[in-house]
Amino acid sequence: MRNFILACLLVLPSVAQAVTVDEVLAKVDSNLTYDTRESSLTMTVVKSGRTKTYKMHSYGRGQEEMAMEYLEPARDKGTKMLKKTDELWMWLPSVEKTQKISGHMLRQGLMGSDMSYEDLMESSRWRDMYGGTVAGEETIDGHKVWKIDLTAKDTTVSYPKRVIWVDQSNYIPVKQELYALSGMLLKSWTMTDVRLIEGKEFPMKMVITDKLQAGSTTEITFDSVTFKVALQDEVFSTRWLER
Amino acid sequence: MSLLLSLAMRNLGRNRRRTVLTALTVTLGTALLTLALSMLNGILGATLEKAAGMAGHVRVVDVDYARREQLMPLAENLPDVAAVLAAVQGQPHVLAAYPHIAMGVTGAREDQEIGERFALLHGAPEAYYRDVLHLDQFLASGAMPTADDEALVGRAFAEEIEAKVGDSLIVFGQTQDGSPAPARLKIAALVDLGSTTQNRQIWVAMSKAQWMADLDGGATEVLIQTDDFERAVDVAAGLRDLPALATYDVHAWDERSPYDQIGGLMTAIQSIAASIIVFITGLGVLNTMFMSVLERTAEIGVMRAFGLRRWQTVLLFFFEAFVIAALGGAVGIALGATGATIFGRVGIHLGEGASKMPATIPINETIYPHLTPDILVTGFMLGLAMAVVGGFLPALRASRIQPIDAMRQHR
Repeated sequence: MRNFILACLLVLPSVAQAVTVDEVLAKVDSNLTYDTRESSLTMTVVKSGRTKTYKMHSYGRGQEEMAMEYLEPARDKGTKMLKKTDELWMWLPSVEKTQKISGHMLRQGLMGSDMSYEDLMESSRWRDMYGGTVAGEETIDGHKVWKIDLTAKDTTVSYPKRVIWVDQSNYIPVKQELYALSGMLLKSWTMTDVRLIEGKEFPMKMVITDKLQAGSTTEITFDSVTFKVALQDEVFSTRWLER
Repeated sequence: MSLLLSLAMRNLGRNRRRTVLTALTVTLGTALLTLALSMLNGILGATLEKAAGMAGHVRVVDVDYARREQLMPLAENLPDVAAVLAAVQGQPHVLAAYPHIAMGVTGAREDQEIGERFALLHGAPEAYYRDVLHLDQFLASGAMPTADDEALVGRAFAEEIEAKVGDSLIVFGQTQDGSPAPARLKIAALVDLGSTTQNRQIWVAMSKAQWMADLDGGATEVLIQTDDFERAVDVAAGLRDLPALATYDVHAWDERSPYDQIGGLMTAIQSIAASIIVFITGLGVLNTMFMSVLERTAEIGVMRAFGLRRWQTVLLFFFEAFVIAALGGAVGIALGATGATIFGRVGIHLGEGASKMPATIPINETIYPHLTPDILVTGFMLGLAMAVVGGFLPALRASRIQPIDAMRQHR
């Protein structure tokens, strides 16, 4: 009997710590999604030995709506983007024309960055898109993380396979590897500088690396982020684009 | 051997009409061959000269651009074109050098949505469009651009977007960094180069393409015109030694795909034409030589009975054919060379349709046969080959004649 109690005591902590992928993804989704958000960003793209820096201001409402305006560099100033559900529009001030981003263009990099327009269009929560297994536990930068292998429920998504490393302390996917259906590694994506903003753990810095383009990397830094802001409907309209 | 040769010469005089007829066949074949090879040389030479001009007799590009040029990687550009131009200008055999940018764009008329209608957009100095591409000679309507925001548009692309001269065209490309590069252009003229592929292009001012690609003062390539496109390889080798070009890819047009295959293609076309003429003329020689064998069967039988060996019989007829071919070939070469020289001066007009061929195979309206010493030697040698081809079978047949059979048949 004494041995049985001892065995139970040894086993119980590991049972208590066991998590399901659904639970982890639900908490990750909770961190990375929002009702409304207003932010200022700096995007630095390094490609072919050249560095280009963009400054943007963006507004988001839920997962379906996003509006973004480019402030710098001068060449791209005034360029705006509007995402409405599964459609993406771009206002081109130099020709005063709205361009719908569709077809092959969706796979191109946002302003030549390693983040594609398709990445920007991703609107579903991970919990709805993926299922998977916890592959193990590791330590990254002193933080304990779960390594989780994810497989898309619908293989037509941009990345049918993902491997994510989720920080056990804040449920932020500090590292991701994004794969094609064939198993080819397409991109890596890290999220760091996590801050608690209005009760939400949020990564202020992301680094995306396109594994198919040598020497190509994109760093996105949030200069400011505000959640639960009141946003006018007009911000997410074509009127705002062409204003 | 000298007996066989004198016998052959005597035999040629026995039936002069047949000898003249055979010699005329060889003359005609050789003359035709010389003229045909000169014409092909003229056509292909002019075509290659045009193709080489469009591609740049010598091209200077970034090494990585050369490696991935099918993707037109704007990021792999020549950032300081002025330095490249300064380095090449004044070099031996260099006539002119032009910066050039090529980029893929989608385009639409002002009132249309920018869709997925693709075109290849070029940016280059106007002199390149006029002096190298001769676009001013291919205008279907309109006039050459006079302002930076004006463009020449290929007819197929214009038809696809239902645009005409004077319409506003919105093109949407990408900068070298991949950010959007839209531009509004006014269609100055429609260009008809004769093929749909070639007519899906847009030509704009260098400054406009530089702005679109965000290549201020840069270009993706520098195209160099030399005084002799056939010696471009030597010029390229000389330019590669310049310190200013040491880090770039500098190659002649015929060292680059697809033009590096053209030399082989030219040889193949000339070989096919020559083979056809040699075969037809050889048949003529074959016919008259067979007649000669049949007529002289009894004589051959007697000679064989007196000890003429089979190989000597073959040699006898071979000598006859060879002498005819040498005489006929010499006259044929003279006639063919005269024709090629005359047509080389006045030209052979093919009609306007020829110049409307696809620009990747640019053919002139008038072709000028180009006679070279190589062609004269080839024509004469092939004239002899005609005799060998045409004379071999009859000679072989003659050698197989049994003396007793020959004498019995002609008793």
